[in-house]
Amino acid sequence: MQVSIKWLKDYIDFLETPEELADKLTMAGVPVENVVHAGAGLEKVVTGRLDEVVPHPDSDHLKICIVNVGGKEPIQIVTGAPNVKQGQIVPVAMIGAHLPNGQKISKGKMRGVVSMGMLCSADEMKLDIENLPEEQKTGIYILPEDTPVGVPVKNVLGLDDVVLEFELTANRGDCFSVFGLVREIAVLTGNKPKWPIIQVKEDDADESGALIKIGIDAPELCSRFSAKVLKNVKIGPSPEWMRSRLEGAGIRAINNVVDVTNFVMVELGQPMHAYDYDEIAGKSLTARRAKAGENLHTLDDSSRVAKGDELVIADAEKPAGLAGIMGGLESEIKETTTTVVLEAASFSGPSIRRTARACGLHSEASGRFERGVDVTETQRALTRAAQLLQDMGACTACRGIVDVYPTPKKQVEVSFSAKKINERLGTELAGGKMVAILESLGFRCDSTGEDSYIVRVPSWRNDVAVWEDLSEEIARIYGFHNIPSTTPFGSVMLCAQSERQSFIEKIKAILVTLGLDETVSFAFMHPSMLDKLNVPEDSQLRNAIPIMNPLTDDYPLVRTTLLSNIFENTMRNFSRKNDDIRIFEIAPVFLPKALPVTELPREIPKLAGLLTGRRAPIGWSDTNDMIDFYDAKGIVEELLSGLRVTRFTVEAGEHHAMHPGKTAAFMKGKDTIAVVGEVHPEIASAFGVKQKMYIFEMDIATLMKYAAKNFSYAQLPKYPSVVRDLAIIVNDDVRAADVERTIKKNAGPYFRSITLFDVYTGKQVEEGKKSLAFSIMFQSGEKTLTDDEADEAFQKIVESVAKEFAAELRS
Amino acid sequence: MSIEEKIAELRQQAEEMIKRHADDLAELNEIRVKYLGKKGEITSLLRGLKELDTDDRRRIGMIVNEAKGKLEKIIADKNEKLKSDEMRSRLEHERIDVTLPGRKTWRGHLHPLTLTLNQIKSIFLGMGFTVEEGPEIEQDYYNFEALNLPKDHPARDMQDSFYITEEILMRTQTSPVQARTMEAHEPNSPIRMIAPGRVYRRDDYDATHSPMFTQVEGLVIDKGIRLSDLKGTLELFLRKIFGKDVGVRFRPSFFPFTEPSAEVDISCVMCHGKGCRVCKGTGWLEILGSGMVHPHVLEMSGYDPKRVSGYAFGMGVERIAMLLYGIDDLRLFYDNDLRFLRQF
Repeated sequence: MQVSIKWLKDYIDFLETPEELADKLTMAGVPVENVVHAGAGLEKVVTGRLDEVVPHPDSDHLKICIVNVGGKEPIQIVTGAPNVKQGQIVPVAMIGAHLPNGQKISKGKMRGVVSMGMLCSADEMKLDIENLPEEQKTGIYILPEDTPVGVPVKNVLGLDDVVLEFELTANRGDCFSVFGLVREIAVLTGNKPKWPIIQVKEDDADESGALIKIGIDAPELCSRFSAKVLKNVKIGPSPEWMRSRLEGAGIRAINNVVDVTNFVMVELGQPMHAYDYDEIAGKSLTARRAKAGENLHTLDDSSRVAKGDELVIADAEKPAGLAGIMGGLESEIKETTTTVVLEAASFSGPSIRRTARACGLHSEASGRFERGVDVTETQRALTRAAQLLQDMGACTACRGIVDVYPTPKKQVEVSFSAKKINERLGTELAGGKMVAILESLGFRCDSTGEDSYIVRVPSWRNDVAVWEDLSEEIARIYGFHNIPSTTPFGSVMLCAQSERQSFIEKIKAILVTLGLDETVSFAFMHPSMLDKLNVPEDSQLRNAIPIMNPLTDDYPLVRTTLLSNIFENTMRNFSRKNDDIRIFEIAPVFLPKALPVTELPREIPKLAGLLTGRRAPIGWSDTNDMIDFYDAKGIVEELLSGLRVTRFTVEAGEHHAMHPGKTAAFMKGKDTIAVVGEVHPEIASAFGVKQKMYIFEMDIATLMKYAAKNFSYAQLPKYPSVVRDLAIIVNDDVRAADVERTIKKNAGPYFRSITLFDVYTGKQVEEGKKSLAFSIMFQSGEKTLTDDEADEAFQKIVESVAKEFAAELRS
Repeated sequence: MSIEEKIAELRQQAEEMIKRHADDLAELNEIRVKYLGKKGEITSLLRGLKELDTDDRRRIGMIVNEAKGKLEKIIADKNEKLKSDEMRSRLEHERIDVTLPGRKTWRGHLHPLTLTLNQIKSIFLGMGFTVEEGPEIEQDYYNFEALNLPKDHPARDMQDSFYITEEILMRTQTSPVQARTMEAHEPNSPIRMIAPGRVYRRDDYDATHSPMFTQVEGLVIDKGIRLSDLKGTLELFLRKIFGKDVGVRFRPSFFPFTEPSAEVDISCVMCHGKGCRVCKGTGWLEILGSGMVHPHVLEMSGYDPKRVSGYAFGMGVERIAMLLYGIDDLRLFYDNDLRFLRQF
C-alpha cells in the first residue's frame, strides 16, 4: 500500500511533516516503510529555454547551448545530447545540483569550453521513460513549449508530492485504503476528517436490475455481489488530478472507467471491476466455482485451464474473470465500450489467496481480499464510482443497485473489563480512557456494569474478536512507550539447559582446545555427494528425505550425513588456499522411518570432523610435518578422555569413506563410539585432493551413554614408582594394542601404566620384524617397591610376550 | 735493598701484574699463586721473618701482612670484576632475536553463531529461564496451526516454507517449541524458557537472506504476566547484550500467536541513532518480535487463558551476531571460510 500526502490531505488536515506523520503511524502499528519525496534531488533543476545551439568548434558531437534560466544573463552549457534544438524548453541542472542518480553538478570545461550546468535526461531525473518519444529516452527531456522559464522543474512535472509507502501487517486490511488511513490519522492527530459526500444523480431511466442479473452459486466463497450499470459511457483519459493520485498510489492510469474503479478501490478499500456490458452473454453474472478444465482467458492475455476450485465470475456461457484477481479479456473495457457493469463484491480471502498463488497473479485487488475487506462497503463503492464518472461527464447512471447479499454479516460484539485489560498490559488506565480510545477508532462502547463494557466492533475491523484484541487497540493508541517496564516475579524455577546441551558444549570446548574450528552448515545435501562419499547402495544414508519445493537443484535432500557438509566446507577452503584445515561440526542428521515420509523422521545429533595439512601452523622454525593418522586418532582419544569415556577397545574398522587399512573403530561392546581414519584415496581423488585427509565421526547419544556422569579423583601416590623399559622384537603383523593388552594382563598387582614410546623397523631389525619399546611403571599404594619385586613382575611380562608373540628381547 | 723496599717493590709489581695482565680468572689465579701461594714471593718473605730479631720480626711482619692483606683484597676485587665481566659477555653472546614470532600451535575457534548464542543463553539462564529444544523437521500443526496460523492465513506468506509432505515441513521458526513445551507441562504450570535452534525458510541465498538461520524463541507463562513484564525483560536483555546505553523501543505489530504484538527496535549500533546505511537512515534496527501470548495459543496447548497469561518473543541470532561483530554479509556464517572462523 502506498499513498500520497496530497490524497490524504484531501480528507484530513494535519500540520505534521510527512516524516513526523510516518513516525506517528509507525508507532501506532501502521508501519511506514519509506517516505518518498517525488522530486528528491531535483531541488536545483529549473526550466530553461535554449536561446542558441551551436556546434562545439573542437568536437563532432558536442554542442554549445546558451540557456535562458530566468536570470539576468543566460548561461552557457555544453551538451553531448543529439536531440537539442534552439527554442526548446528543457530541465537544467544548475551548479550545486545533486541529481537523484547521484550525479553532482559543478562548473566544468568540455574541450576547452566552459559549461555552467547540465541539461537533463528523463533517466537522470529518475522519471519513468516508458511513454517518452524514442529520442527522449536517451536524449534530453523536452518540456512543453508553453512551460514557464526559470521555475523549479519539480513544480512543472508535478513532482512536489510525497508518497508514504506502507508495510502493513496482515491483520490490518482496513488500512489498505485512504479512508482507513485517514481514520487512523484522525485518532493520532486529533483532527476531524473531511469525508466527501458520496451520492449520484441517477439520470438514466433504466433500472440496473432490469439490465443485468446477478447470482451467487458459491456463497461460501462470495458473501456479497453488488452491481450497477452505467450507460452512454465515453471512454477517454481521466482528469489530471485523478491520474496523479493514482500515480502516487503506484497505479498506472489507463482510461477513465478503469481509473475510477482503481481510485475507489484505493479510496474505500473495496476492489471493483468493470465489464463491457455488450460482451456479457445472457446479460447475467454469477459467482461460481470454475468447472475443471474450463478455459480462463484473463486480461493479461494468458489462458489458464481451471482446476475447479477457483472462484470465477461467469456470464451465461463462460467465465468472464477470475473473481477478485483479474478480469477476463473479452469483457475488458475498450475504446468502443458504451455500457458498463460495475462490480463490487466480497470474496473469501483464503480462496483468493490460494488461486492467486496457484496462478502467480497477485493484484491490488487480490491483496485486499486476502486481508479481508469491509463487506458493508459494496453499495457505497458503486455509488462513488458512478458519481466520479458522472462528474467527468463520462456516463449516465442507471437507477438502483443489484445487490445479492444472502447472509448479512452480524454485528461483532466483544465485552471487556478495564481491570483485566490493565492486568494484561501492566497499566492503570481508567475505564473511561479506554472507552475514549476505542470510540475514537469507531468502536461503540456501552457500560454494562461497574467495570464491564460491551463493544460493537466496526464493520471494517475484521481482526477484532476477543477482548485481548481490544487490549492491543488500547495499548497501541495509548502508546507502547507509556507502558511501564517491570520484571515478572513469578514462580521459583530451576533454570538449566538439558544434559545434552551441556554435553555438546563440553565437546565443543574440548575440540577447540585441541585446535579445531567449529563450522555451521545447511542441513541440505545433493544426492551426488552420497556417490562421491562412496555410500553403499543399501545404506540407510541413501534414504535421504526429499524436499517437495527445494530452492535450487543444489540441495534437493535433507542430509543423512554430516560428512557431506564437512567435505563441502573443506573443498571451499582448499579453493581459497586454506590448506591447513582442522574442522568439526555438531548437528543432527535426518533419517526417515520410511520413505515416503509419513511421520517425523529421527533427528540424530552427530559429530564429524576433518583434519588435513601441517601438524603445526606454518612458521619460521617448524619442520613442515604433515598430519597423519595418529594425529587424528590422538584427537579422538583426547576428546574421549575429556568426556570421561574409558575402557573402550580400538580395532581396525570399516567405513565407506575411509581407507580400509587406516580406519580405527573405538568400540564399547557392540557400540561404536568413534570411527577415525584416512579418507579413502578414491574419495580424495574424486574431490581432486592430493593432500592426505583424516576424518572422524561420532554419535552424540552413544558418547553420552558411555561418558561417566560422576567422577572422583585418584589419590596421588605416597610411594615412589619403579620404571622398567621393555624393548622387544616381534613379527611385523603383531598389533601394538594386542601386545599392550597381554602386558597389562600379566603385569601383576603393582602395574600402574604403560606407554609405547618407540616403534622401529629398519636396518637394525631383521626384515619382516619390528621393534616395540614400552615404558612400564610399577607402584604400590602401601610400600616402596624393591627392585626384586619390580624385576619379578617384569620377568613375568617378558615370559608372557615371548609365549604369546614369540617376542625376543632386543639387545 | 731493605726488606721494606723489597716488600714495596713486590707489592707494586703484583698490583701492576693484576692491572695489566690479569685478563681472565685463570691468569688472575696464576698471579695470586706467584705472590700469595704457598711458595709465593710474599709468602716466602713471611717465611724469612724467623731469621730476624723480635722487634724487626714484628715490624716487618706487620708490613708484610698488611701488603698481603691489601693484595688479597685487590685480587678478590679483580676476581669479582672478572666474574661479572665474564657473565656479561656470556649473556651478550647468548642474545637472540626476540622479535622473531613465537612458535605457533593450533588454537581452535567456536563459530561466531555459537559464541553469540552462548551469550544469549547465559543472560536468560541468569534470569531463570530453561533452555528447551524441538525437532527441526516439524508438523504443520506445531509450526503453524497451534500458533493460531490456520491454513490459508495470509501471514503464512511471510514465511515461505520447505515442505516434506503436505503436513510435514522444515520448521520456519522456533515457535513450535512453545506448543511442545506447554504440552509437556502440567496444564497452567509456570514456564520460563528459551528455545534456540536452526530454522528454514525458502528464501534466496544472499547477503541478508539464507534458507537456514538460527532463532531463539522465548516463552514465559505464569499467573499475572503482563505486557510491562515483557518490556522489562527484553530491555534488560538488550542492554546486557548491546550495552547499557542502547535505546530500546516497542512498536505495535502483528503476529497471529500474540496479542498485543510488538516489534522491538534498538537504536542503531553503527550510528547511535543518527541514521546510516545499516539502519536505512531511521536510527533504529529491528531486533525482536514479541507479544502477549494469544488466548487461542494457550487454549490449544491445554492452558487456560482465564487463569494464566504469558509473553513470547523471538530473535534471529545471525542478526545479533552481525551487529555485535559488524558483519555485513550473512553468507559468511555458512561459508565456513577459515580466514573468517579463525577471527573469533
